[in-house]
Amino acid sequence: MRRVLSGFFTGAMFLLAALYLYPLFLVAINSLKTFAEITANVVALPSRPTLDNFRNAFALMQYPSLFANTLAATAIGTSGVVLLSSAAGYKLSRTKTRYSWLVLVLCIAPMMIPFQSFMIALVKVSRFLRLTKSVYGLGVIYWGLGVPLSLFMYHGFVKTVPRELDECALIDGSSSLRTFFAVIFPVLKPVTVSVIVLNAMWMWNDFLLPLLVLSGEKRSQTLQLAAYNFFGQYKIEWHYAMAGVLLTITPAVIFYLALQKHIIEGMVAGAVKG
Amino acid sequence: MISAASKKRLARALDFIALTAPAVIVILVFVELPFLMSVAYSFTKWNGLDKVPQFIGLANYRELFTDDPDMAHAFVFTIAFTVLMVVLTNVVAMLLAVVLAGGIKGRNALRAAFYVPNIISLIIIGYVWRFIFSKGFDSFLDFTHAGVFGLSWLGDGRLAFVSVLAVSVWQSIGFYLVIYIAGLQTVPRDVIEASLLDGAGSATRLWRITLPMIMPSVTVCVFYSLSNALKSFDVIFSLTSGGPGTATTSIALDIYKTAFGASRFGYGSAKSVLLFLLILTVTLFQVTAFKRREVEA
Repeated sequence: MRRVLSGFFTGAMFLLAALYLYPLFLVAINSLKTFAEITANVVALPSRPTLDNFRNAFALMQYPSLFANTLAATAIGTSGVVLLSSAAGYKLSRTKTRYSWLVLVLCIAPMMIPFQSFMIALVKVSRFLRLTKSVYGLGVIYWGLGVPLSLFMYHGFVKTVPRELDECALIDGSSSLRTFFAVIFPVLKPVTVSVIVLNAMWMWNDFLLPLLVLSGEKRSQTLQLAAYNFFGQYKIEWHYAMAGVLLTITPAVIFYLALQKHIIEGMVAGAVKG
Repeated sequence: MISAASKKRLARALDFIALTAPAVIVILVFVELPFLMSVAYSFTKWNGLDKVPQFIGLANYRELFTDDPDMAHAFVFTIAFTVLMVVLTNVVAMLLAVVLAGGIKGRNALRAAFYVPNIISLIIIGYVWRFIFSKGFDSFLDFTHAGVFGLSWLGDGRLAFVSVLAVSVWQSIGFYLVIYIAGLQTVPRDVIEASLLDGAGSATRLWRITLPMIMPSVTVCVFYSLSNALKSFDVIFSLTSGGPGTATTSIALDIYKTAFGASRFGYGSAKSVLLFLLILTVTLFQVTAFKRREVEA
């Protein structure tokens, strides 16, 4: 009885999951249809699947350059966050003075400030520093936004790393900066993985900051920003739009499928630490 | 002549600065300075073009509280949306987590499936659902003749609220599900299994035994759902643009419209200060209250 019940239960859960993802399934099948076929019926499978929509959307969106732009912003942003937050998180965790405590508070307090409550002035500061209108500038702005949580994660993890490790290296006579990157940084790998995953997913999918600092710039657009403009431009051409949706989400989905375990662990680590 | 001791102290200070200064600088420049500037702008009138914002004291705040029906509406919308979001995401995610942590077959595949909407950008999510609500529902109506599919889910103010809420819940459940599962993994498996397939008394067991054991996860999830709902922007932006009219305009979207749509940067800053204070107060209150329950449990 219990067995039957649990079998039934499992089946029901899988049905629920299928239903949950049904909207995305609809996107997928409609991206393979002609315009006439979408207009006639959204639910039916494509009678003669075609990749024309993808070809067109790919060209209309100028996908390769968007991909490169988004990758550049994400890579610059993520690598900067990793370097800055690991070094500072380590040092702040090892130093126990009144000043270091103050610096720590200064570094992690921004976790409590929602982006929307400083975005107006952030645009002004970024413009002053000539960081707007370029995806590289966007990547640099992400440093400031990403460091607080990542630093906090590193700070917590360093406590579990035995102090003897830095002392051994210091006796060797190397400077603390060298010690850090040669000896400590490799040990922090579990947090580094979480930090990379967390920041990369966020930066890749971010919309509001690119909208604020890149809008109007034809040549430096990110995928999300361009997708939004694309949908606005091809309001009625759902067949292009559906292909556009798939092209936009594919990199994140591949990243997710490849690193699923790390992504889920990273999310949990970030959430629970934050 | 510098003594060896002070030389050493200087070296240590330089070392501290070398490792921490880069992080401190980017945080100051890109978060803390803009935040303080926003507070300062909130006392000014500034259209973004004038060289110098004009100081007008508390006039923005006066307008905000007494003379801005749009803001009042955005406030009511945001609060209603937040309450429902927090309750729905947490209840649904927790129930799903209990099922998935209870030794069901294929639980990793199920967890992965529910998590998928969470890896897609919110702007795309909003757009996908615009397709479902328009084209998709037309086809569903043809098939089923069920009246629900004929309603104007994005065109009617009340229904648009439900749509925005449903899509937001759909998108975010995976995230909370994952945290609850991680929390439940610290609870002995048989306790959860017993509370699942036991018929009578299982709800009580869930409430009395499982829930107190995962209270730390509840604190975290409620905190995130609260602060995310209070600042929700992207899904609304691409699903309804805040409409019809201003029916689904959240505070965050209202700030965006005020500053970057109407070029009222001073007034927009006042609204953003209010949003900050709102989120800070609500989440501090929540975390304090929930932590107390954690200790008792």
